[in-house]
Amino acid sequence: MKLLRVGQDGSVFQLGHGEQQLLFETLKHYPLVPAAHHRLSQADQGPHAEENQRLLEASLAEVRQANRRQVLALLNEPQRWRATKSGFELELTPLQIEWLLQVLNDVRVGSWLALGEPASGAAPAVTEQNAKYFFALESCGLFQSGLLTALGISESPHWAGD
Amino acid sequence: MADTEVLPNIEHEAKTGSKSDLAPGWLVICWNDPINLMTYVMHVFQTVFGWNRAKAEVHMLEVHRQGKSVLARTTMEKAEHYVHELQKYTLHATMEREP
Repeated sequence: MKLLRVGQDGSVFQLGHGEQQLLFETLKHYPLVPAAHHRLSQADQGPHAEENQRLLEASLAEVRQANRRQVLALLNEPQRWRATKSGFELELTPLQIEWLLQVLNDVRVGSWLALGEPASGAAPAVTEQNAKYFFALESCGLFQSGLLTALGISESPHWAGD
Repeated sequence: MADTEVLPNIEHEAKTGSKSDLAPGWLVICWNDPINLMTYVMHVFQTVFGWNRAKAEVHMLEVHRQGKSVLARTTMEKAEHYVHELQKYTLHATMEREP
């Protein structure tokens, strides 16, 4: 995934045929994080804690539904993809980049949960059954980095070692 | 890293509601999930709180190195809003009553 240009209306990315296929396969996992994963509070304080938690889950479910519609549109509307010699061009508005980042991180975190939440730097125990989550986790990171580059977000040299 | 916390400038808005809902006293906390990209976390902080890169980076590194960062001290209503926004990005965020 290569950023070609950033215009007023959006950013244009170049994806090879394989990258497009990988993005499609990755997005098919969405949504992956279980609804109950998100907690409003660790301490469950306050008289309305249970009700507030229920409202949070309902609200996140609405967001996921809207994101799911966007994902399906991206997968099923060929006009969004302009064929080129080496693959496809995809133009995304800043808002579309935001929802795609949200969707990809859901799949990335969900894959990490499915792999048993391996610690940072530790290799997950990959099996035939969970290998798809390992690939999804890695490909999400790849696409997220590409999108963040378009937004001008890059790693700082003084994070080295972190 | 220094142990001090840089808190956002939360604007006080005129709202209706009970006194306990409006009084500050709630902390918005982001907890470390080692799977999140550092650049991604920084971007989310900038987007949700409107912070500049430097401030977002301080909090992102605090999450990464110390396991959590207090992102805001605010009213219950605002804290709920921020937690919801952070969770939309699948960050591990909660609101806790200030001790």
